[in-house]
Amino acid sequence: MDRHSATLKINHERCTQCRMCYLACRELDINAVYVALEPLHRIEIDPLKCTYPGCTVCLAYCPAEGSIIEVETGRSMVPPPVDVHPWSLRNLTGDRSQ
Amino acid sequence: MTSLPGKDLARELLEQSQLESQTGPMEEVIAAARQRKLDSDALFRLVGRLWALERLFYYVYGGWGQGLEIGDTPLSAKYLFARQIMDESTHEMLYLDMLLRKEWIATQKDAFHHPYSKFTLDSALAYYAFALRNLATYPHPVRIAGLNLGPKIIESGWMEGLAEALEDDVLRSLFSSQLVENRSHINMGRRIVEECISEPFQAELCRWACRLGKRDYTMFLHELANFVLGRPSSLETRTVAVRVND
Repeated sequence: MDRHSATLKINHERCTQCRMCYLACRELDINAVYVALEPLHRIEIDPLKCTYPGCTVCLAYCPAEGSIIEVETGRSMVPPPVDVHPWSLRNLTGDRSQ
Repeated sequence: MTSLPGKDLARELLEQSQLESQTGPMEEVIAAARQRKLDSDALFRLVGRLWALERLFYYVYGGWGQGLEIGDTPLSAKYLFARQIMDESTHEMLYLDMLLRKEWIATQKDAFHHPYSKFTLDSALAYYAFALRNLATYPHPVRIAGLNLGPKIIESGWMEGLAEALEDDVLRSLFSSQLVENRSHINMGRRIVEECISEPFQAELCRWACRLGKRDYTMFLHELANFVLGRPSSLETRTVAVRVND
């Protein structure tokens, strides 16, 4: 799969609405994560603004396994798989030098 | 079921505020929306100023949180307060999302500096926020009565009217999606007063806080309506002095 065509979405069955993804995304001025304009005010990701896999900050801060998924593959991205998060691999191998 | 001590007081405050919510400064804004007279710039002024107020609730509730232990506040009231903080944060996010979505601002940092959305000390908005923050030294049920059974009811009234009047679907949803949480806050206020207020002096404090909250919020609404409709803002508003016995 061409990784550049990949998009993320929130899995509401797992998301705890902690909003860390929202805050981190907003801090970077990407503003892809937003509050849906419906009474439950759930968090969503705007695929037109999201720069994944260029940015993976939401994955880095999400605490709830399975709550952000890659639309094209259905794969859970939390915790971030090593192929999208190089520092995860370093942590697994105990290499903290970088 | 055991009768709750503050039931009559809660009903009294609720009904009084509901009565007052039927008219107010926002009526003119609602009428302008109905007549399609609110252009994009006016709507930017509206959302920008509402965002400025919402974000000040972090400041207000920060102060209130410090005083939660005063008067041995019941756990249920503390839980409800935590929920209310979360909801208020949601509303702040909704307003900022809208500023970005409509491209009225490019980044969230811009919102802090733009004349339509920045915090200004010399304003009715600041006056209201400071007055609310001052309630930090009062028992939690008193200040919750002063907000949730006063300004929140006024807010719910105009917000529902505005949501119905607006033509833009996204803006309609911005306001209509908040109605459930606003009703929830009003019910929280009702429950806390019913449960926690049992003595005449406490009841009088609740009435005082409620009158004060509505007076200051109405002053903010006058300023907001003037701002949205392009009229000069002034602190000289039609307010009734609240007699304070201390």
